[in-house]
Amino acid sequence: MEESPFRERVLDAKSEVTCQLVDFQWKLGMAVSSDRCRSLKYPYVAVKLKVADPSGQVNTKSIEMTIPQFQNFYRQFKEIAAVIETV
Amino acid sequence: MAGELEGCKPLSGLLSGLAQNAFHGNSSITEELLHSQLYPEVPPEEFRPFLAKMRGILKSIASADMDFNQLEAFLTAQTKKQGGITGEQAAVISKFWKSHKTRIRESLLNQSRWDNGLRGLSWRVDGKSQSRHAAQIHTPAAIVELEFGKSGQESEFLCLEFDEVKLKQVLKRLSEVEESIGTLMQAA
Repeated sequence: MEESPFRERVLDAKSEVTCQLVDFQWKLGMAVSSDRCRSLKYPYVAVKLKVADPSGQVNTKSIEMTIPQFQNFYRQFKEIAAVIETV
Repeated sequence: MAGELEGCKPLSGLLSGLAQNAFHGNSSITEELLHSQLYPEVPPEEFRPFLAKMRGILKSIASADMDFNQLEAFLTAQTKKQGGITGEQAAVISKFWKSHKTRIRESLLNQSRWDNGLRGLSWRVDGKSQSRHAAQIHTPAAIVELEFGKSGQESEFLCLEFDEVKLKQVLKRLSEVEESIGTLMQAA
């Protein structure tokens, strides 16, 4: 069962600029408890992306994903790498 | 009138309504709506504590993320309590939790995530060809667009370009994450 699958679709470029990834940090966390749910037991992957836009301005974006989402994310990147080798 | 509350058919609907309001953020499901739709014959002063009792039970179950053994033990205890629930009501609640547990848990997880959540990823690979004046020959590039956003807010998009070298670096990082996940799962 795919938990919250994220959308995979043909690139349609909603963002106006293409950036370069300058740095990539990650952490694997476990949310244990919260005020709404005492027993969360929720592992997650958080990535911090430092990106530079064409003008050189650097921004940081943090994105969190569930374990299944991360595995999908990783699989996609492996697929990209496989394709780029054949080009 | 107590007999009306003990009837189980509307209880399932009541639990759905409570879950919509308490977990899925649907504030249009009010006490008045539940009362008029499901228990119209019951006076408000009887309905109110009944609703509170059911809400409390549902929240306890969700908060503890009860498995089925815990659930049975908890509900059995509730049937033995003074002013608790009936065996039939326990059965309805049990059935409800079993079929809604995953969705409710997902809502609770989303509520606990305050940073951006990943919503989408799309990509394409471009083969850059040589231009008349440029030195580069054939450097393919991958364009990856990430869609992400905070709970309840509109999506943000980030478009990134990777060459083969950059991709390898990213893959290395991602494999570190996977290794870490493996260690976590083993320890669990």
